[in-house]
Amino acid sequence: MAELNYDDAPFAVRGDLAVVHGDTWDRLASPGTWLDAETRVAIAAEVRAVKDCVLCRARKEALSPYGVDGVHDTSGALPDNIVDVVHRVVSDPARLMKKWYDDCLAGGTTEEEYVEIIGVVCSTVAVDTFAHAAGLPLRKLPAPKPGAPSRQRPPNAKQGPAWVPWIGADDAEGDDIPRFGPPGSNVRRALSLVPAEAHGFMEMNEIHYLNGVQMRDFSTDYRAITRAQIELVAGRVSAINQCAY
Amino acid sequence: MNVIIGEVRDGGGIPQGDVLVAFAEAVVGGDEDRLTAARAAVVDALGTDALVDACAVASMFNAIDRVADSTGVPIDEDRLAPTADFRESLGITAFPSGRGGG
Repeated sequence: MAELNYDDAPFAVRGDLAVVHGDTWDRLASPGTWLDAETRVAIAAEVRAVKDCVLCRARKEALSPYGVDGVHDTSGALPDNIVDVVHRVVSDPARLMKKWYDDCLAGGTTEEEYVEIIGVVCSTVAVDTFAHAAGLPLRKLPAPKPGAPSRQRPPNAKQGPAWVPWIGADDAEGDDIPRFGPPGSNVRRALSLVPAEAHGFMEMNEIHYLNGVQMRDFSTDYRAITRAQIELVAGRVSAINQCAY
Repeated sequence: MNVIIGEVRDGGGIPQGDVLVAFAEAVVGGDEDRLTAARAAVVDALGTDALVDACAVASMFNAIDRVADSTGVPIDEDRLAPTADFRESLGITAFPSGRGGG
């Protein structure tokens, strides 16, 4: 288990948050489905390098981020195709385009690798944003574990209305029916081409936000802020991020 | 809903909504002094447990927005019609991420 705690916080941090962040670090440090652990941890480190990237800053300020060429300021551990995915997703997600995604695939990134990269990036963003928001130092990244990726694509994943293939609502099987089946939302299916990433990310979502049962229960306050206050924070963050979903 | 898109600054009638909106804006805003002040305001108004939960929600949506944007997932069909009017009136359909595949 990767060591992660909030013992240094000047206030109590919910134990389930520390546990799920430890689980996330453990998942990040383990061989993935398509990427080895060294690459996964390097992606997490690259997420942290984006804030100092001059090219990303110039693209963010440009009318179109696709009209600004240059080289990313990078930690240096990853190939250029992965670096560009990490930097664009972290720095300017609202202006990602389907054509850019297609170019990523044409450049040699497989759709399975792409989805796993997104899972690692967004898991890191969640843990790091939590620490930043709380005024705490970023947690030390875990050491990568040895081992090979499992390289198993779910046979029921296929191209649907998203850019990436996914396990559609009618294609979910067994234990995945509650996760990707009709009760679930499209964003829950977004990473389902790499189920381990989808499961890990959504487990974190249930602790940070609410689980499915809690989401449908408007009569109980499960957190120290009310449901209306939760949705206000969530909605304002998403509006600033210009996320139309 | 106008509070969410930043057109109204009063918290929308939600208790301590103005404090929480200011905190949400500061978390994704990049101004450390502003974030420090917003964090202190949440603690003063609601306490440290509320601060932790606000941090958890803000950080998760900062991440899940990126999952949605980078995978091109469409809005769920059962939510399209009921939300069409307010998405249009609030300008959400004009967000770059809402303009489709481009």
